[in-house]
Amino acid sequence: MNSSSLLTPSSSSSPHLQSPATFDHDDFLHQIFSSTPWPSSVLDDAPPPTSDCAAVTGFHHHDADSRNQITMIPLSHNHHNDALFNGFSTGSLPFHLPHGSGGQTQSQATASTTTGGTTVQPQTKPKVRARRGQATDPHSIAERLRRERIAERMKSLQELVPNGNKTDKASMLDEIIDYVKFLQLQVKVLSMSRLGGAASVSSQISEDAGGSHENTSSSGEAKMTEHQVAKLMEEDMGSAMQYLQGKGLCLMPISLATTISTATCPSRNPFVKDTGVPLSPNLSTTTVANGNGSSLVTVKDAPSVSKP
Amino acid sequence: MASADKLINTDVPEKDVFAFHFLQSLSNLRKQNPFDTPDQKNYRVRKIKKAAYVSMARAAGGSSRLWSRALLRRADKDDNKIVRFSRRKRKVTWKISSKRRRSNQRAPVVEEAAERLRNLVPGGGGMETSKLMEETAHYIKCLSMQVKVMQCLVDGLSPK
Repeated sequence: MNSSSLLTPSSSSSPHLQSPATFDHDDFLHQIFSSTPWPSSVLDDAPPPTSDCAAVTGFHHHDADSRNQITMIPLSHNHHNDALFNGFSTGSLPFHLPHGSGGQTQSQATASTTTGGTTVQPQTKPKVRARRGQATDPHSIAERLRRERIAERMKSLQELVPNGNKTDKASMLDEIIDYVKFLQLQVKVLSMSRLGGAASVSSQISEDAGGSHENTSSSGEAKMTEHQVAKLMEEDMGSAMQYLQGKGLCLMPISLATTISTATCPSRNPFVKDTGVPLSPNLSTTTVANGNGSSLVTVKDAPSVSKP
Repeated sequence: MASADKLINTDVPEKDVFAFHFLQSLSNLRKQNPFDTPDQKNYRVRKIKKAAYVSMARAAGGSSRLWSRALLRRADKDDNKIVRFSRRKRKVTWKISSKRRRSNQRAPVVEEAAERLRNLVPGGGGMETSKLMEETAHYIKCLSMQVKVMQCLVDGLSPK
């Protein structure tokens, strides 16, 4: 707390502090000590601060007829002030700023922070600022506060999620959800690949698809998938893609697949088989002969991070 | 690589903390069951995945985060088959019904997305939406760290 200045509340809720024409220290102090603790509604009605912090060195005595409040008391002048100051500093009394600026009024940075607020407001921005001229219904205030909080957190989430440049809140939330799902899937696949080798990975895939198989008999499952995909492709490409997508597979032309395989493993002999390992341990491929004459390759792609 | 928000603290420990915890859990797993010729591969995969999540929860700060606490509790529950009383639906609906009476409805777009998130993030059942998003941010950071660690292990141990 700023040790050199002290604020006093304005008049609205404690009328007996209002506008004495002249006053001295003792009267003022008695008034302060006898008044009830400042209610929080006092804070709500205050206008935003107009001046910033500065140290008070001398006692300023000003006419109270134009303004309804009391001025500052320099702490060095009176013993009572220390007690007063200590009392105020230990408690969480909601000070708020007097009307009008004047050269004498100072503001305390901590005075403007909300007392019971759970969120930390940046510096001297009081809770009341946005509410001028709007409904002071406490529920709508709480609602607005809640929305602001959610918006803050959404902004911080936006930086985390890749492709987080969407301005629309709904699509941003969809992105976040998809990203969490993607990361969880990545963990699952990586824990699968720890078994070491594509053989177990692909048998794992076929296991998930249709019961338990042995390592070498996974081709049976792949054949079934092929037939199913071929059947779907005759009617509608879209449904075939969706079926594959549900299994975690994708379609690509053979030329692209061979290009990828030569790119990732130039030393190996690229052969396309369901348990083959031409690509990184997380991929396995199957060929499907299309009715049109062009062959397509289905690639099981694990969402692995690319090797540096 | 720990990053800090101005208002909300979503710091996450460095990669080596995650790596240490994960390797420790893996070695514990190895001591328990011999993995040379497992009867069912699925079982082993599930064990490894669970070890990954538990080690991530421990590395991310044990019980200082809601999601890690819920994750660890869920893992223990699976092992010991202790039935816990679930407070999930009740708490959420109470908040929504009481507040909706007074003010306008709470951005139903956000709320339905929050519901989906609650299913994904562990421990999301009893949280308010703002708290949920905080937890999600921390959870995402930890997940990505865990994925990096596992990927490094796979790369290091896979045959050239």
